[in-house]
Amino acid sequence: MTRTPLRPLPRILSAREHGENPDAIERENLRLRHEEMRDKSRDRAEGRLLVLGIFFLCAFLAVGMRMAVLAASEPSEPRMAAAGAAIVNQRADIVDRNGRILATNLQTFSLYAQPPVMIDKEHAARELVKIFPDLQQDQLIKQFTGNRKFIWIKRRISPEQKQAVHDIGDPGLQFGPREMRLYPNGPVASHVLGGAGFGREGVSSAEVIGIAGVEKQFDRYLRDPANSTAPLQLSLDLTLQAATEEVLAGGMRLMNAKGAAAIMMDIHTGEVLAIASLPDFDPNNRPRPLTQGDQSDSPLFNRAVQGVYELGSTFKIFTAAQALELGLVQPETIIDIKGPLQWGRFTIRDFRDHGTQLSVTDVIAKSSNIGTARIALDIGSDRQKSFLQTLGVTEPLPFEMIEAHTVNPLYPRNWSEISVMTISYGHGVSTSPLHLAGAYASLLNGGTKVTPTLLKQDGPQNGPRVISERTSAQARTMLRKVVTDGSATFGEVPGYHVAGKTGTADKPRTNGGGYYDDRVIATFASIFPAHDPKYVLVVSLDEPVETSGEEPRRTAGWTAVPVAAEIIRRTAPLLGLRPQVEPGPITGVTLTAN
Amino acid sequence: MSYLEYNVKTVPTGIRKVLYLNWPLVLLLITVASFGFLMLYSVAGGSVSPWVEPQMKRFGMGLALMFIVAMVPIWFWRNMAGLAYAVSLVLLIMVEFFGDVGMGAQRWIDLGFMRLQPSELMKITLVMLLAAYYDWLPVNRVSSPLAVLIPVLLILLPVFLVLRQPDLGTSLLLLMGGGIVIWLAGVHWGYFAAIFASGVGLVTAVFASRGTAWQLLEDYQYRRIDTFLNPGTDPLGTGYHITQSKIALGSGGFSGRGFMEGTQSRLNFLPEKHTDFIFTTLAEEFGFVGAFSLLVLYSLILIFCCVSAFNNKDRFASLLTLGIGGTFFLFFAVNMAMVMGLAPVVGVPLPLVSYGGSAMLVLMVAFGLVQSAHVHRPRQG
Repeated sequence: MTRTPLRPLPRILSAREHGENPDAIERENLRLRHEEMRDKSRDRAEGRLLVLGIFFLCAFLAVGMRMAVLAASEPSEPRMAAAGAAIVNQRADIVDRNGRILATNLQTFSLYAQPPVMIDKEHAARELVKIFPDLQQDQLIKQFTGNRKFIWIKRRISPEQKQAVHDIGDPGLQFGPREMRLYPNGPVASHVLGGAGFGREGVSSAEVIGIAGVEKQFDRYLRDPANSTAPLQLSLDLTLQAATEEVLAGGMRLMNAKGAAAIMMDIHTGEVLAIASLPDFDPNNRPRPLTQGDQSDSPLFNRAVQGVYELGSTFKIFTAAQALELGLVQPETIIDIKGPLQWGRFTIRDFRDHGTQLSVTDVIAKSSNIGTARIALDIGSDRQKSFLQTLGVTEPLPFEMIEAHTVNPLYPRNWSEISVMTISYGHGVSTSPLHLAGAYASLLNGGTKVTPTLLKQDGPQNGPRVISERTSAQARTMLRKVVTDGSATFGEVPGYHVAGKTGTADKPRTNGGGYYDDRVIATFASIFPAHDPKYVLVVSLDEPVETSGEEPRRTAGWTAVPVAAEIIRRTAPLLGLRPQVEPGPITGVTLTAN
Repeated sequence: MSYLEYNVKTVPTGIRKVLYLNWPLVLLLITVASFGFLMLYSVAGGSVSPWVEPQMKRFGMGLALMFIVAMVPIWFWRNMAGLAYAVSLVLLIMVEFFGDVGMGAQRWIDLGFMRLQPSELMKITLVMLLAAYYDWLPVNRVSSPLAVLIPVLLILLPVFLVLRQPDLGTSLLLLMGGGIVIWLAGVHWGYFAAIFASGVGLVTAVFASRGTAWQLLEDYQYRRIDTFLNPGTDPLGTGYHITQSKIALGSGGFSGRGFMEGTQSRLNFLPEKHTDFIFTTLAEEFGFVGAFSLLVLYSLILIFCCVSAFNNKDRFASLLTLGIGGTFFLFFAVNMAMVMGLAPVVGVPLPLVSYGGSAMLVLMVAFGLVQSAHVHRPRQG
């Protein structure tokens, strides 16, 4: 910026000439410059003030407009309640095949505290302890007077408890809605349903997530709000399930077993109508997994699906059916059963001595290990292996329970001749009872593959053919003979023509090799009615001992079979089966005429 | 023009000063305060206790203080500016060590007869000191870097201390109040542009980095910012105040529910209903008309300050008046914006209306300074 000098030389000189004081010129110029600077700064300040004023005006307008908008708006009550209501029933229900509720939702409340707005903290703590005796008063007071602004007190409270807390009247005690999963039937079908827990938790809502069973398997479907009115329909029948569980529990107690499993399945559709595993639990209050010991002892363990056992002689029918299918034998073919059968270092024995020879039908009926092993030798390892694969007992099942996907049947890595023989009668091979039920259905329904499912189906599965219809019928005849004349005579239920096969396998020792002498898995795999099969029932008892006789009896014929028979007796009428009683000879009929 | 340059003989002296006070301003202050009394009366459920009575006493004391301060020549206050700033700074530091903890933050010092909030005091003394600084600084040096650095440090020191209490609202007000004085003093706009740009840049960077590998903040901090910006997502938590006060404003409608008829505030839905959120009571009971009237009254006070400053040739006096006016504006604008959900919830009281001692007294002293500047302004002749 250009400045006028304070002492301009020409003016100073002329002033001196005129005898004036040159300092006055300087003072004058200084004053002028100050005024100029002041005016400039004032101009600038005015500009600045204008900008600020515009800003003030904008703020004024913004606040005023907002005020008008809000004043014009409808007073909307707290949206919270509405938002809370929206989450009710968000998770889809689970129903049985007839639409009866297996799992639904219940609106409960959570209780939390906001200490900054609490009025009388000590009073509140005292009253809370009266309502919830498990709370500690000292601890509550400590929490309330601490620095925290938010404290969970209870995650789930009942309406009565909510009212009681409400009556304390402290604004710092507040409630949030909590949708809770409810299983109205308690432990019925507990393993199938699994259970649900809370995921992410907020004040206003909590995420309900499936943690086991179908709740976890179908978690995404169940959580999808679009499905909230479309319940998940299972193949289970609540009535059958309850009856099966009840009879199984009674049988387990009677046979002094430590565990039991039962599967009732439609032989054509593969629909599992009832599936039970004992001991069970209440999914409303799911127990924690065991922290030590064997997980298979936990009530959470599903023996029917997760339990992998040697199912013993129940496998014999697979050998017999395959030999029949291949034309190696006929039902009447006589097999040499002279024992014991030496094979290398191994010796195969029968449980009882049945003489030296039996027909194939009788090998099954009397359950001869030696006879089955001899038949299997003719089949050979490759064909045996592929047949078992066809029946679906070598792979995890695509069953609709999250737990089923990791259940791998156990087979010898090296499928040698001795393996062929032991596998033929169900030893050295472990599968779950569910695998067995699926294989029996495929083999005996006329010979088409059936995969067990938990979802309601529209009709028969019509899977690929496993064996011919003729062989299937022959196998049914053999199994019927097991019940009428063989090892499962207790399995006869008048009118329902049960056919099936027993299996008793020694339990392997948990510590090291070998088997226990006195601990068995007793299994009875059956179908009924034999001539026109409709249902498969597999019952398996863990370490049963029947003590009514002089000697403790453990074989399936004495333990699993009576329990299965009782289940059939109880459930057949529920299934709508009409008993077919063959008419006896007409005696003592008096013809009368009047 | 500095007061040394004008003829002090034209300035009224003695008791005659009372005649030269800005009486309309006094009247406005009394009117606004009366709004406050009414609201506190209503919030207490139609009772003078526990809030109206002490509030009235304090306002009376405030008025007396205002007159005393107004009688003292403005040049005395100019000379006191540095001392006043130093005293409030020391008090702020004392709060750090000896302060009472109230509502989760250390803000008060117990003086025996009243509890003093030094951060309130600081709002005025900071403006005073800055005005005195720019009065002392030759106008042509205002924008030189060193001359800018000093006031920035003078502002940041108390801001930092208040932030530690922690009191985000007050520290932001201090920052903005100081900024207004610097702005009016004529500091080159480039400084402001630079600060604004870097602020915008920082915020953009923080948000742009979200979800990337070089994320600048933790996830929970982002979530807090989210609720901060959009309280609707958590209506029972952080957004509680806002939701409730919006309801109160909405239910007030155009003309309100009528005096003592407000439900939202008196039914204890609103915490802090007698302090920071008292505006909701007003809006519910007197509606848009009442709320807008209060806004107009506040704006009138602001306009009176601006006019007084505009007519004042003294640099210190005009900067001080505008600085106080600006701070006052920030108070009510931020509070109203916050209550109406335009700004995040920071603890800023509604000036002269909210219940609270320190804020009221300090504000009245501030208006005393404005009056003093008005009375002792240089006059021609």
